[in-house]
Amino acid sequence: MSRTTLRTLLVFVAFAVVVMVLPAFVNDFRAQQFSYVGIYLIALIGLDILTGYTGQISLGHGAFMAIGGYTTAILMIDHGVKDIATIPIAILVAGVAGVLFGFPAARLSGLYLALATFGIAVATPELIKRFEGFTGGGSGVNLFGTPELTASLTPVRLAGVELNFNNWLYYLAWTLALAGYVIAWLILRGRTGRAFRAVRDSETAAVSSGVSLTRMKVIAFGISAAYAGAAGAMFAIATTYVNPDTFPVALSIFLLVGVVVGGLGSLKGLVVGAVFIQFMPLWTQSISKKPGAPAVVYGVILILVVLALPGGASGLVSRVTQLVRRGQDFPKP
Amino acid sequence: MNRKLTFACLALVASLALGATAALAGTARGTSDPGVTSSTILLGGTAPLTGLASPYASVSRGADAYFKYVNARGGVNGRTIIYRVVDDGYNPALTVPATRQLVEQDRVFAVFNSLGTSQNLAVRPYLTSMKVPQLFVASGATTWGRDYEQFPYTIGFQPSYQAEGWVYGKYLARTAPGATIAVLFQNDDYGKDLLGGLKRGLQRSKAKVIAAQPYDPTSPEVSSQIAKLKASGADTLVIFATPTFAVQAYTFAHKLGWKPRRVINNAVASASTTMARAAADGQNPLVNSTISIAYLKDPTVAEWQSDPAMKLYRTIMARYAPDANADDPLHVYGMAVAWTAVDALRKSGKDLTRAALQKVLDRFTAVGNPFMLPGIIVKTSGKDHFPVEQVLLQRWQNGAWKSFGGLWGYRAS
Repeated sequence: MSRTTLRTLLVFVAFAVVVMVLPAFVNDFRAQQFSYVGIYLIALIGLDILTGYTGQISLGHGAFMAIGGYTTAILMIDHGVKDIATIPIAILVAGVAGVLFGFPAARLSGLYLALATFGIAVATPELIKRFEGFTGGGSGVNLFGTPELTASLTPVRLAGVELNFNNWLYYLAWTLALAGYVIAWLILRGRTGRAFRAVRDSETAAVSSGVSLTRMKVIAFGISAAYAGAAGAMFAIATTYVNPDTFPVALSIFLLVGVVVGGLGSLKGLVVGAVFIQFMPLWTQSISKKPGAPAVVYGVILILVVLALPGGASGLVSRVTQLVRRGQDFPKP
Repeated sequence: MNRKLTFACLALVASLALGATAALAGTARGTSDPGVTSSTILLGGTAPLTGLASPYASVSRGADAYFKYVNARGGVNGRTIIYRVVDDGYNPALTVPATRQLVEQDRVFAVFNSLGTSQNLAVRPYLTSMKVPQLFVASGATTWGRDYEQFPYTIGFQPSYQAEGWVYGKYLARTAPGATIAVLFQNDDYGKDLLGGLKRGLQRSKAKVIAAQPYDPTSPEVSSQIAKLKASGADTLVIFATPTFAVQAYTFAHKLGWKPRRVINNAVASASTTMARAAADGQNPLVNSTISIAYLKDPTVAEWQSDPAMKLYRTIMARYAPDANADDPLHVYGMAVAWTAVDALRKSGKDLTRAALQKVLDRFTAVGNPFMLPGIIVKTSGKDHFPVEQVLLQRWQNGAWKSFGGLWGYRAS
């Protein structure tokens, strides 16, 4: 095992430990907010694989989250499937949707792809309303209090520890997020990851090295949508409610903001992006409740972040580690 | 390597801590039930402070102003009321986490005056399982009163939409027998309850609903619905909508040259700017002679200018909500519901518990609410959990509502 791999592993284990003990130090409402951070992290990993690593911009990931969320909600309410059991199905359904969307999307590039994906983000809420009998329409689907929703009414016992709903959500979301992180790391460090990056950096070079563009783009879309599906399923479970506005256009844009803040083409900063998505709107609202003010503050902060940290949080980490390394190299006077 | 590792860990911990410090609010722990201390009562609610439905923010603003007025005069049984309002942008998916925040983080005594039908439906099972009172829901859906046995912690306030629709139906059947009615309604329980009530009121009469067009609360506009309604050839247009869409309905109907009889539901009619915006400085003649119902005093109506309660209302608004438009009748709604909450809390006694409040609300009679039309009594008893069931009809004339006729009473059963 190389030194870099060992280091990555150590950092990850340290992070996982921090995540697992955190609920002991915060109240359970805070745990619920942090579980949303975990959920966003899952979606951000998926989006980063597509946008950061493969260079395919998506402004429509909220739509894939909606597919996951509605798969979970409909399975739970109409078919009595337990919430955890719906997650793999949601991942599968969203992944298939991603692959299907990937075929036409592979022919589009840059701005045109952004427009096409933005289109599905705009159309999704309307489609959900259109098929009211199936999706519950604008009134949505309420999951709270159903026997399919684990721990919502009575605490669940897990490995001898009693977990209430919020802590249960926290561990479920973060288990998925950490597993998703490892899977993404494994995919990206190998052959597939190299092919993704080749597609991003130069399509011509990629083709001449024997990489099939269509195939790689479709695979990237599928994986990415599967992550979004997992996040959507968790979002439905955590919110205990889905309606078309649960997955608005703004969500897709927030996800892209999260990836940019975390650092495109790098996994290590994404958690910062997820924290940004979850807490920045709350924080800006706490500054001022005047109409429009929170949005302005949010925008200004976002501009400052992008100006000061073009590489996002992971860019900052890399820059600081470089500085530290350079400092070590210099002979001490 | 060690320094880098330490740094990475620090960065991660710092990023998590950043989130943790985002909103560290104080928690109030009561002696028996959450939200009650020896000197305070904490109430919380959600409201659309931002977004398309933000005109409804006036409801919570009016209630807040009234609580501050009561607090300045000694509070309720020696306790001051703290009323925390969280923005949900009229989106049920945001109402759920916002309400959970109020219950689990802020630890409110009761959720009070949260606004919207879908919004309150989305949190009702949760609040029931947490045994938190869902007090005076700001929505007239029939379910709050009707499904009281299943959700005993929930109680509405205003006349149910079904009752309101019923009154329009009875009125049309009586005054325009043979009317052909076209309905624009919001595609949720709010619009459907009103429509159902209207149809019940029309039963055994010659007047009939011949066309009904739904619209989604998140859709941009309603022009195609209005065109279809006009094409039905109806002579009466009934609007069961929210303010933005109601204004559009008037505008499109006028543009199409349609001149039906008009009826508009109270939740829209009472939003301050709806009728004025729809009238567009008198350029839209359709707005005049629109019929609606009322159960609150309207601050813009000449009849109440010298009324002591409305003078008090203006004083409270000037002192506790100086930036707000005191002509907006939704502030009166807020005060009327806050007045009732204060009355119920006072009657629950010095040892305030959720159980005591529930007991009071089970058999509740509040006479003399100064912000409601004279003669209207807020009352629940036994199986009847609809607090307000009396209304007056009113007509929009020359820029103001004018009530006519006597009180209309409705029995849910």
